[in-house]
Amino acid sequence: MSFLELAGIQKSFGPVQVVHDFDMTIEKGEFVSFLGPSGCGKTTVLRMIAGFETPSGGTIKINGKNQESLKPNQRNIGMVFQAYALFPNMTVHDNVAFGLKIAGMNKAAVDARVKEMLGLIHLGHLADRFPYQMSGGQQQRVALARALAPKPQVLLLDEPLSALDAKIRVSLREEIRMIQQQLGITTVFVTHDQEEALSISDRIVVMNSGRADQIGTPFDIYNKPATRFVASFVGTLNLIEATVVDPASNRISIGDQAITLREPLGPVKAGDTVSLALRPEAGSIAESAKGDTALTGQVVSSNFLGSVIRTRMKVGDPVISFDMFNAPGLSPPAVGDVVTLRFTASDLLIIRE
Amino acid sequence: MKTQKIGAWIAVLFGASYFIIPLIATFEFSLRMRRGEYSFDAYRSVFSDVQFRESFSYSIVMAILTIVFGILLVVPTAYWVRLRLPQMRPFVEFITLMPLVIPAIVIVFGYLRLYNSSSFIPFTGSARGTDLLLMFSFMTLSLPYMYRSVDTAMRTIDVATLTEAAQSLGASWPTIMFKCIFPNVMSGVLSGAFITFAIVIGEFTMPSLLNRPAFGPYLQLIGANRAYEPPALAIIAFAITWASMALLQLVSRFSKSAPSKP
Ligand SMILES: Nc1ncnc2c1ncn2[C@@H]1O[C@H](COP(=O)(O)OP(=O)(O)OP(=O)(O)O)[C@@H](O)[C@H]1O
Ligand SMILES: [Mg+2]
Repeated sequence: MSFLELAGIQKSFGPVQVVHDFDMTIEKGEFVSFLGPSGCGKTTVLRMIAGFETPSGGTIKINGKNQESLKPNQRNIGMVFQAYALFPNMTVHDNVAFGLKIAGMNKAAVDARVKEMLGLIHLGHLADRFPYQMSGGQQQRVALARALAPKPQVLLLDEPLSALDAKIRVSLREEIRMIQQQLGITTVFVTHDQEEALSISDRIVVMNSGRADQIGTPFDIYNKPATRFVASFVGTLNLIEATVVDPASNRISIGDQAITLREPLGPVKAGDTVSLALRPEAGSIAESAKGDTALTGQVVSSNFLGSVIRTRMKVGDPVISFDMFNAPGLSPPAVGDVVTLRFTASDLLIIRE
Repeated sequence: MKTQKIGAWIAVLFGASYFIIPLIATFEFSLRMRRGEYSFDAYRSVFSDVQFRESFSYSIVMAILTIVFGILLVVPTAYWVRLRLPQMRPFVEFITLMPLVIPAIVIVFGYLRLYNSSSFIPFTGSARGTDLLLMFSFMTLSLPYMYRSVDTAMRTIDVATLTEAAQSLGASWPTIMFKCIFPNVMSGVLSGAFITFAIVIGEFTMPSLLNRPAFGPYLQLIGANRAYEPPALAIIAFAITWASMALLQLVSRFSKSAPSKP
C-alpha cells in the first residue's frame, strides 16, 4: 500500500479552480518532485498535504489515515519554505529544538537530537548563531534540520533552493537528496527548475494549470513525454509539424522530405498534420553519424555553448535544432551550409496532447 | 557649506530656546522656595507629601496594568489582522486612531452615561469598578501608539510563514503567539509601553472626571494652590517623560542590532 495518497484532489479559490482532479500515490521513502511553471498549483497541492489549505474535494491519506480532520500541527509533517522561515529570535540550536520541545522530549534527548541533526547538515559548529548571522544556504540547511528533527512522516519542500545562488543550489540539492536517502523519508519537492527535478527525484509530477500532465521517472518524463506541454516544458525540444503521406505505412513528410515513423500514426488520414518531437541531442551531422533516417537542410544559425554546439537548420518550413559535442578540431557548420542530419526514426515522438 | 551648517545650528538653537528657556526658568523658580538662596526645598516638600506618593504610585500601578492589558489586546489583534484579515488592516488602523480624533472629555462623558451606577454595566458603582473603567480608558488613549508600534514591528517579520513553520512543527496557537511572535515584536511592544506609561502618568481628564486619585489631578490641584511646588512637579514630570523617551531610544537602538529577518 502506498504511503501518501492523494485522490481526486480539487481546490478552488472563490470561483477560480486552481487544482483539478489531482491523483497521486507516493511510496514510503520515495522522493517525488512537483514540476511546473509559475501559478500551476504546485504550492497549493503541497499546502493541502500540510493542512494549510482545505481541499474543495478529494481525500489525502498518509499511511492509510485520512488527514481531513487533522490540523496542520497534528499531522507531523516537516516543511521547508523558500524564505527559510527560521525563528529570528532563536539560535540555530533552539530553532532545531523547537519541534522536539513541543513533542515533549526531555532536555537531554532534545540536545542529543539537535546535535545529531546539526551533524547531518554539517553545521554543528554554528549551533549558537542567530539566523541573521548566517548565509542563505546555511539558513536553509538549518530549516531542513528543523523540519527533520521531530521525525516527520512526510517532508515537504516548497522551492527551497530558489532564493540561493546557482552554485549553492546544486550542492544543496545533492545534500538534500543524500539526507533524504539516508533517512529514507518520504519527500515531496516543489520546483519550477526542470534540471533540479530531473537530477534528484525518484519520480516527477509535471503539472500544468492545476492538473498532473504526467507522472513518471525522470528518464520517462524526459524521453517519453506524454503531452506537448511536458515535451516543451522539460528540456529543449524541437516541435515539428509534419504532414501525413500514408497512414498505413506510417509515412509522413517534413518540408517535402518523406520519413517512415516507427510508432503507428493512429487514426489520421493523408494530408493531416501531426506534431513530432525531437530532442536536439538525438541526431548528428558527423560523417560517422548512425541512424536510419536523414533530413537535409540549410543551416540558419550555429551557437557555441561550451560543451556542445547548437545548430539550427531549416527543412522546408520547420526549423530543427540539433547539438554536436564540442571537440578540438571540429569545425562548426557555417550559416548557409547544406547539411544532413542523421537520427533514428524511433527518436521522433508523436505528440498527441 | 560651512556657513550653511552654522545657519542650521542657529535655527536649531533658536527653536530649542523656545522650549529650553521656559524650562530653565521653571527649574530656577522651583529652586527659590528658601528666601535668598537656591535649595531643593520645593522638591523635598513634594516628595514628603503623602498625597504625592499615593497619587504617583496609583498612576504607576495603573500604567503597568494598562501596559499589560494593552499588550494582551494589541499584539494578538495586530497578529490576527496581519495573518487572516489583511483586507481589514486599514479599518483596524482607523479604529485605533479614533482616540486621537475624539477628545478624552467626550469619551469620558460617554463612559459616564453608559456605565453609571444605574446602567447594565455599573462600572462606576464601586471604586474598583471605576479603576477598571479608568484602565480601559487609558488603554483606549494609548491604542493609537501601541497598535502602530506593534504593527510596525510585525512588518519586519514574515508573520504568515513563521506561523506555518511553527504549526508544521506541532505548535499550538498560544505557543506560536508567545514563543514565535511576541519575542520578535518586543521592540515595538516596548516602545508602545513607554509611550503608554508617559500618557497614563500625565493624563488629567479621565481620572479627574472619574474622580480617581491619579497623578494628573494631583498635579492640577497643587498647581492651583501652591507657588513653588508646581514648577518642581513640572520638572519631575518632565524628568519622567524624558526618562521614558530615553529608554525608548535605547530600546529602538538596541532592537536594530538585535536579531531580525535577513
Ligand atoms: N489564497 C489564494 N487565494 C486566491 N488565489 C490563490 C491563492 N493561493 C494561490 N492562488 C492561485 O492559485 C494558483 C496556483 O497558485 P500556486 O501558489 O499553487 O502556484 P505555484 O505553482 O506554486 O506557483 P509558483 O511557482 O509561482 O510558486 C495561482 O493562480 C494563484 O493565483
Ligand atoms: Mg509556489
